[in-house]
This record gives sequence, C-alpha cells and structure tokens, in this order.
Amino acid sequence: MIEVKELKKSFGELNVLKGINTTFEVGKTNLIIGQSGSGKTVFMKCLVGLLEPDSGGVFFDKNNFTLMNEKQRTKVRKKMGMLFQGSALFDSLTVEENVVFPLEMFNKDMTRKEKLERAHFCLDRVNILDANHLYPAEISGGMKKRVAIARAIANKPDYLFCDEPNSGLDPQTAIVIDRLISEITKEFRITTIINTHDMNSVMEIGDHVIFIYKGNLWWEGSSDEILTTGNKEVEDFVYASELVRKLK
Amino acid sequence: MILFIKLFKESAFFAWGSVVANKLRTLLTLLGITIGIFAIISVFSVVDALEKSIRGSIASLGENVVYIQKWPWEFGSDYPWWRYINRPTPRVSELDEIMRRTQILDAVVFTASTSRTVEFGNRSMERITILTASHDYDKIRSFEIGNGRYFSPTESFNGRNVALIGANIAQNLFNEVDPVGKIIKIFGRNIEVIGVFTQEGDDIFGNSHDDLVLLPVTFVNSFIDVNSDRYNPAILAKGRENFDNDELIDELRGTMRSIRRIKPTADDNFALNQASLLSTQFDNVFSVLKIAGWIIGGFSILVGGFGIANIMFVSVKERTNIIGIQKALGAKNYFILFQFLTEAVLLSLMGGIIGLVMVFGISWLATSILGMNLMLSMKNIMLGINVSVIIGLIAGFVPAWSAARLDPVEAIRTGL
Ligand SMILES: Nc1ncnc2c1ncn2[C@@H]1O[C@H](COP(=O)(O)OP(=O)(O)O)[C@@H](O)[C@H]1O
Ligand SMILES: [Mg+2]
Repeated sequence: MIEVKELKKSFGELNVLKGINTTFEVGKTNLIIGQSGSGKTVFMKCLVGLLEPDSGGVFFDKNNFTLMNEKQRTKVRKKMGMLFQGSALFDSLTVEENVVFPLEMFNKDMTRKEKLERAHFCLDRVNILDANHLYPAEISGGMKKRVAIARAIANKPDYLFCDEPNSGLDPQTAIVIDRLISEITKEFRITTIINTHDMNSVMEIGDHVIFIYKGNLWWEGSSDEILTTGNKEVEDFVYASELVRKLK
Repeated sequence: MILFIKLFKESAFFAWGSVVANKLRTLLTLLGITIGIFAIISVFSVVDALEKSIRGSIASLGENVVYIQKWPWEFGSDYPWWRYINRPTPRVSELDEIMRRTQILDAVVFTASTSRTVEFGNRSMERITILTASHDYDKIRSFEIGNGRYFSPTESFNGRNVALIGANIAQNLFNEVDPVGKIIKIFGRNIEVIGVFTQEGDDIFGNSHDDLVLLPVTFVNSFIDVNSDRYNPAILAKGRENFDNDELIDELRGTMRSIRRIKPTADDNFALNQASLLSTQFDNVFSVLKIAGWIIGGFSILVGGFGIANIMFVSVKERTNIIGIQKALGAKNYFILFQFLTEAVLLSLMGGIIGLVMVFGISWLATSILGMNLMLSMKNIMLGINVSVIIGLIAGFVPAWSAARLDPVEAIRTGL
C-alpha cells in the first residue's frame, strides 16, 4: 500500500502538483490519467524518488519515503519494479540476461543458478520463455514489453510502476499487456501504479482511477463510475474521441 | 560475473558502434593514438635492431681486448683532441716490452694500416686497405682462411714478402685464377699471396677481412715507418680468460707508464680503448633516440587522448537514458564507470593496434625488400598495448566518472 499526502511539486513558476492526496492499495491496478503535460510522469517520479517533492509525503506501507536517508531508500527501491516507456531493454544482452540484470545488481547472495531459475520463472509467467536466448532486436514490440514486465517483477517487487506501458503498441497487443499487468498484480499481490491516457486501459483494468487536472486530483473512483461522473473535465477527457462519444 | 563479461561485450559493442556510426570522426581521433604508437614503437624497433647489430659488432672486436692507441675512442663535438695531439704513437718496439713485463696477457699484437693500389698482372685495385700486423694477429681477431694458410712464424719474424688477401680482392683481381702462389704488387714491391680469407660480410663498423690485404709488420716496417701516426698504429692486448677487464686495464696502464717512464704525477700519454666502453657510449645514443621517440609519439598520443575523451563525452550523452535505466534497475556507480572505461580502453586499443600493425607491415617490408633486420618484438608489442590501455584509462576516466555520477532524474528523460 502506498499513501500520498499533500504532495506538492513545482518547477519555478510552474506548479505541476498542487497537493495530491490518495491511497494505492495492494493487489489493485491504480491508474493515473490526465491530459498530456498534466503531471502524471512528475507525480510518478516523486513516488519513486527520482524527483524530490517540495512538500508532502509518500508512505510505503506506512514508512515515510520522503524522510528516509539514501540507505533506507535503497532498501525500499529493491521492492520497486519499474516498467519503462518503450521497454528500454539492453540491446546487447539476451532476453534472459536482461531479466537477470536487476537480480545481478541487487542480490549478492543469490547463486547464478537461482538467478537463472528466477528469470525463467518470470519469463514463463509472461509466456515468452521460448525466446529467452534471443536478442531484443529479434523480437516484436509486444514481446519486448513482456520481457520488460518480466524484468520488472524479477526482484519480487511489492510495488510496480508503469509509465505509459502500452505506448507504441497496437490496440490489441496493448490490451493483452494491460491484462498481463493486471493479472500479475492480483497474483503476486503487488501495488501497481500505471500512468496512461488510454481509455481502453481504463475500462479494461482500472480498479482505482485518479484523474489529474491543473495540478489537482480532480476526480477519483473506479472504471465503472468514470462514465457517469457528470464531472465536465472528466467527461471531456473520457469522451475525447468521436468513437467513444458515439458509443455513449 | 558472467554479466560483467556480457557488459564488457556491451561496451565493446558501443565502442564498435561509435566507430561505425562516425567512421571518419572516430578514425581521425584514433589516428592520434595510431601515429603515437607507431612513432614510439617504430623508433624502439629500429633502436633494438641497431643495438643488436652493434652489440654483435662490438663482440667481434673482442670483449677482453684492449686497444693501446694514441687517440681514445670517444664521440662528441667536445672531443679534446689538443690534449692528445702531442702524444707518442704506440711502437712496434713496445710490443716485446709489454709481453715481457706482464703475466696476464694471452696475446699482444701490433697493427697499422694504410691504403694503397694492389696490382696483379695488368689488373689493379685502388685504395685497398693494407693491414699490417705482428704474428699473433690470428690469436686476437677471429677469421677463417678458405684457401692457403696463415703466416708461418719465420715469415712473420723475418719480414718475408707474403700476403693474405680478402675474398673480394681475390675475386676482382684474380677472377677464376687461384691466387695462392701468385705475385701481386703493392708499394712497388712483389709480394706472394699465400692465403685467401673466407668471405665474412660487413659488420656495423665496416670491419671485415673481405676487402683488405694483410702483410707481416716486419716486412712493411722495412720500407715505411709503421709507427707513424699516419698509419694508425695500435697495440692490441688480449687478457687471459680469468682476468677481468679492470685488472687488464690496470695492468696495461702500469706497464705502459713504466715502459714510457712517465712520472707518477704526469698524465698517461696513451689511450686504453675497449669495446665495452664503446657500448656504453652507444647506450647514451640509444637512450636519446628512445626519448626522442617518446616525445614525438607523446604529442600525437596526447592529441589522440583528448579525442577519445571527446568521443566518450558524446557517448555518455547519447546513452544517458540507458545509464538511467541501469541505475533504476540497481546498477551501482562503479558498474557504470567500468562500462565506460572499458569502452574508452577498447577505442584506444583499436588505435594502438592499428599503429602496431603499421609497424609490423613496415618492418616486414624493410626486412624482405631492403634486407634490413627489423623485427617487431613481443616486448614492443606489449609496450604498445600497455601504452594504449593506459591512455584509454586516462582519457576515459573523466567521461566515465561523469556517467557514473549522473543524476538518474537527468538520466531518464523518456518515461520514467
Ligand atoms: N524536470 C523538469 N523541469 C521543468 N519542468 C518540468 C520537468 N519535468 C516536467 N516538467 C513540466 O511539468 C509538466 C508536467 O510534465 P509531465 O509530468 O511529463 O506530463 P505528463 O502528464 O504528460 O507525463 C510539463 O509542463 C513539463 O514541461
Ligand atoms: Mg508522461
């Protein structure tokens, strides 16, 4: 569980986040939506400690991450999995070695064999074990995403952060990847936070959705509720596309 | 640790990528290292070759032979010739004195030389070196007689008109005819050829028996004064096996001073020259040459080093994103540092190896076409490689350090 309290972040004159309060629960896919430039990425960077918030706090299972020293943070970071935009695999490493990488970096006490076993388990979970000796250049975009997910869960994270996980994928593959993330979240009881501007994802896997608008948490609820909020800004976002408007 | 090897591969991959992507820029940059290594290693190789052949030649002069002469063997522009000009020359008559007064000599020989025309029938050769020596010459200088024989003691002591001639002279003057027993004309006198030296080939000082005529000194002394400075007289003294050079020098100095009745306070009026002294003089020349190689090569390497540092800074910039992701996945600073250092070292090594290949190619050409004895030795290969690696480490350190210290926020620009 991650709790966010009065989180503020600005860059000079620009107040990107003006005090966000919310709670992300275990075993749920938490979606952060909002227009491009609304501060989703900044928000997520503040959560993982890649940016320092100006004020407020982020609590990982009741521990205030903002107040921790570097050593304590490293401990928490070990429990974070991250899924980067565009997969960001290492081109010169095989699929398998890409998944071993974070194990190699964090786990001094694991044997080589244990690391490989863990990597195989993760690759198997995302249904791509048969590609483990291929290089990233030899597999498709959707497969790369799967490898990236396997790499993100290699260290058995308690928290999983995904920034625009299905950008650059075709809609069908995007849904498959969304579902995979959702399944893994439930299966391994992870607190998952996903940045997206894709309404399909919202409808498909949005256990808990927060809508950021003008630096504030404008609306919060489940994917079922989002279609009928009556909130103008939310509706503008939800029904942005002609297709969805017609469906309505 | 297999991952380290893999990441080493990644670094090699990037180094190669940077070569391929910016062929011209990278090659121009590496050129500095290439030329530097080329300059240093080729100078070293040439010096090695010279050194080897000079050492060989010096050894042929005799390691334990002391040359008693008027003039010392020295190099340099500040040669104090005026201090030696009034010295007496070594004399034939001093030979027996030396032999009588010392116990530690194997052989003592008087030699003198000049240059004359040699005639046979209607053929003649001009400016031939005429070497004249006392009987024990064959105990001090090594040579072989292919045809005929050496002087007999009687011939040497009585000054018979007999000669040994070099292989080239035999060839040019006699052609197909067997020279032994024939009469040649030197100094306007008839001289009988009793032997021909086996062909030797020149050493570095141009010393060989191929182009000279050897006559007994007693014979020549009967019509010209071989003690004259013009004929470059010298007494060669060879020590017994179990006496070292310093003892030999001390003994000869004492003996010569007593023969010439020099007062204890007066300076020597003779020079004691030694092959081993020559080699220390050459050592100085070699170290100057080597320093010159370092200086010439050093400048190119410096330029190349800055070039590599520049390439590395660009490489770090291009890969900020990957560095960030590696860090986010738990990579420590030293891990990033290692990666970029590897890349810098590989680049530098590439330049250095091209330089070594060039040296190898040129020394191969020089050896096979010009007949020179140039060799790219293992020692020099290792030197070239070590220098390249060290330059890579130095040039790569600052960029690699800046990559390692990169703030992950800056590093990860897209997405997270
Ligand atoms: N490091 C930064 N320095 C200054 N401004 C920034 C920085 N990062 C983000 N911003 C600004 O903050 C706003 C929100 O950006 P971002 O969180 O990336 O939006 P998005 O919701 O599309 O992910 C943008 O206006 C962006 O220009
Ligand atoms: Mg974003």
